[in-house]
Amino acid sequence: MTTTARAGRAAAEPLRPEPATIVEVIEETPNIKSLRVVFDDGELMKSFSFAPGQVGQLGILGVGEATFAISSAPSEKDFLQFSVMKTGVVTTAIHELAAGDKVTLRAPLGNSFPVEEWRGKNVLVVGGGIGMAPLRSLFMHLMDHREDYGDLQLIYGARTPADVCFSSDCSLWSEKRDVDFITTIDAEHPEWGGRVGLVPSVLEEENPSPENNVAVTCGPPVMLKFVFESLEKLGFREDQVYTTLERRMKCGIGLCGRCNVGPRYVCVDGPVFSLAELRRLPDEL
Amino acid sequence: MKFIAREDIPRWLERLAQAAAVWTPRRAPDGGETVLFLPWEQGSEPELDRFTDLSAKHLLLPASEKLFPFQYRLGGEGEQIEIGAAPATPESVVLFGARACDARATVVLDALFMQSPEKGYLAPYYRRRRQALAVITLACTRADAACFCSSWEEGTASREGSDVMLFPHEDGYLAEAVTGRGEELIGGEPFSERDAGPPDTAVTDQVPLAGLQEKFTAVFSRLDFWEEVTARCISCGYCTYACPTCHCFNIFDEMRDDRCGERCRSWDACMFYLYTLETSGHNPRPTIAHRYRNRIGHKFSYYPENQGTFLCTGCGRCIRGCPVSLDIRDVLRKVGDAR
Amino acid sequence: MDELVKAITAALEDCELVLGWARDPATGAGRPERFTSAGQAQEAIFDATCVHNLAVHLPRLKQRRVGIVVKGCDARSVVELVVEREVERERVQVIGVGCDGVLDLKRIWRRHGYGVAIEDDGETLLVDGSEVERQPLLQHKCRHCLDADPSIYDVVVGGRTAEGPEPRGERQELAERFREMTPSQRRDFWRRQFARCIRCYACREACPMCFCRDVCIMQTQVPHWAGGEVNPKEAEMIQLIRVGHLAGRCTGCGECERACPVEIPLMLLMEEQNRALEEMLDYRAGTDIEARPPLLTFDPDRDLWGDE
Repeated sequence: MTTTARAGRAAAEPLRPEPATIVEVIEETPNIKSLRVVFDDGELMKSFSFAPGQVGQLGILGVGEATFAISSAPSEKDFLQFSVMKTGVVTTAIHELAAGDKVTLRAPLGNSFPVEEWRGKNVLVVGGGIGMAPLRSLFMHLMDHREDYGDLQLIYGARTPADVCFSSDCSLWSEKRDVDFITTIDAEHPEWGGRVGLVPSVLEEENPSPENNVAVTCGPPVMLKFVFESLEKLGFREDQVYTTLERRMKCGIGLCGRCNVGPRYVCVDGPVFSLAELRRLPDEL
Repeated sequence: MKFIAREDIPRWLERLAQAAAVWTPRRAPDGGETVLFLPWEQGSEPELDRFTDLSAKHLLLPASEKLFPFQYRLGGEGEQIEIGAAPATPESVVLFGARACDARATVVLDALFMQSPEKGYLAPYYRRRRQALAVITLACTRADAACFCSSWEEGTASREGSDVMLFPHEDGYLAEAVTGRGEELIGGEPFSERDAGPPDTAVTDQVPLAGLQEKFTAVFSRLDFWEEVTARCISCGYCTYACPTCHCFNIFDEMRDDRCGERCRSWDACMFYLYTLETSGHNPRPTIAHRYRNRIGHKFSYYPENQGTFLCTGCGRCIRGCPVSLDIRDVLRKVGDAR
Repeated sequence: MDELVKAITAALEDCELVLGWARDPATGAGRPERFTSAGQAQEAIFDATCVHNLAVHLPRLKQRRVGIVVKGCDARSVVELVVEREVERERVQVIGVGCDGVLDLKRIWRRHGYGVAIEDDGETLLVDGSEVERQPLLQHKCRHCLDADPSIYDVVVGGRTAEGPEPRGERQELAERFREMTPSQRRDFWRRQFARCIRCYACREACPMCFCRDVCIMQTQVPHWAGGEVNPKEAEMIQLIRVGHLAGRCTGCGECERACPVEIPLMLLMEEQNRALEEMLDYRAGTDIEARPPLLTFDPDRDLWGDE
């Protein structure tokens, strides 16, 4: 990664955020909104770069910060997008924001998907619910570099049709001929003409070959558990499977202590881990 | 060696205080028999015969500090936010009357907070305070039943993290400069020369630390083991807050009025349920057993793996003040013996 | 002590575990222990070093049948927990012990070093081999104790050696001094005390009646009653929360003050409130297992302010 204006400032004062402004709010689902955010410092915005899978601390002064995956693609240079589900104090306050409102940002933080290592391979992306946020960034990056990768497949599951995030992206992706995109919902629904079934079962029905393939998954813990099982059933080895973890975080720089899984800190050693790495860590998710 | 008479200590402190903020062990005002590291004041009596109830880590990691002030302002282009500068920290600080365990704790913390920025751990706040700090250590010629610093090679005589070592000798202290800054601190008045070598220091209880990392990993998943060893724990934060090496913290905002506020940082403790509680309601460390296991893991497995040193110096504070008499040495020995 | 071992062993026939004390090998003082077998119960002790109020563990064990060894003051906590329906009397086997007052171990240890040899027979106290005056080295609560004999028990072990302690000591002097202070002097006094607070919450966690545990409003974000900083103002706020929430519920066991690592005289606050409430409501928490605590009961006919 190139040295950016943010990197220089972060080295001096890593806990000091940058002022930023919301330029657009997209209502994805009844409880998920995507916020498009621009640094107030134009130079900073111009020099900003990140890799898919990295996260940021999005904050409201007076309320606090929380960690979110960057859901925009690295090629989307005009803004950073965060997709936020309303759950706690900070996310509830974020949901009340509108275009023009002020926020703060510390980004990028954490590691990223090893997309360089994956060149020449097929990539299978499996997402569920709000877990699609980092995967959107990844999938768009892979499509931006389409010639570097083999087959691209995305399986995305939501509970109901109303819970499908990124619906405009979804319609675009489903029209693409060079990627295989499947959306599924958990149970039959009158407004849904598409695929029905839980993500792990759809995955098994699709029966992707582990040959020269990597699988990347993110979603609720219970989905992950069964997706890992399905992938292993399909013959994927632990080092072919990647996920990205979520933990309560505060500092984002490996110091405040709370996001560790054993000796690894999700904020700096993660959030992206291979299943092989995860299995070597103490079982404390 | 250099020598200072006990009665000359106040004179020395006065001299040190001309160039630095000086902290010494002292009885807290109206505070019974509690001894804390407090700012030296003219006429205040340092308490050099007792151990302090709390460590001196607040000189590097204050119990709470303001990271920066901020304010919302209505400007020509709508609402603007302003983020102010971080408050200044003292330029020179002298910690007088630390013990070897306190001094060594700074080196243990440096392993995390002072490492090269390439690693990604950036801690300019700590760095500023650390660079301002000089430590004058009083070697222990007496240990109590909670001390276990001799679990490490140098024990009570360790010079790690100290700029000056003081050894009790006759009616005063022999002084040895460990660093260049230490030389300056003991240069000139009221020191004299005395022909003596450093005396023997105390030897404390020793906890076997070899192989502890592997043994911890082996016993990690046995939650029944952790439930048993923590049965008496009530999950307060005393042990972590009294510890000279525990450093976990929280970040939060405090509003001073409708438009102005501050982002603050304060100590936090892995023994609190809320520490790892996620907004979804999920908590990766839901019980006392989970949380105490992480405390032991952090100190005796993860930190050594990541930083090459145990996150403990054997000061014994977590033992002395524990409201339920939970002794970390018992737990470590049980981890060592578990099969 | 055979009597105590016997009582614990008997209780274990009916209970999964018994909360009591065993000797801490590092100090020789009592430390809390969970006895689960007759063999292990051999280690049970009770003496003036058994300072802890073990009732703090009862709410966490409420699904299980447990036994508990209690001093008179600890028994009041059990009573209040039963009154507040946090503990079922039927599930708890109470083993009462006669008590001559327990020692202020932290004070002794601060003066003489942690783990110093202590010998005590209820009348004569030897520290490090030398006799010292016993009364000033008891816990503050013991120096004006009204509850030396447990008020509820299934079995009682041992009696008291001495008469009840003289109801006099420096705490009363502090209380008198405090009552004479003007409001601003009182404020200065507490600011000075709370300047030492590190917000470790040992006061709360050691309190048998603070069973809100992980959702205590001292720490929650919603509602946000206390700020997060460590300073006398916030310490004052969290203690006011404690005092308020323990109004009419505090049994005066003194665990908050004993647990405080920096000797903040928290019981001074509690005792002043307890005294006022006793005058106002004629109620001492934890003394009557059949009681309906006045502050937990809505009675439209009761005139709290006494000007009917």
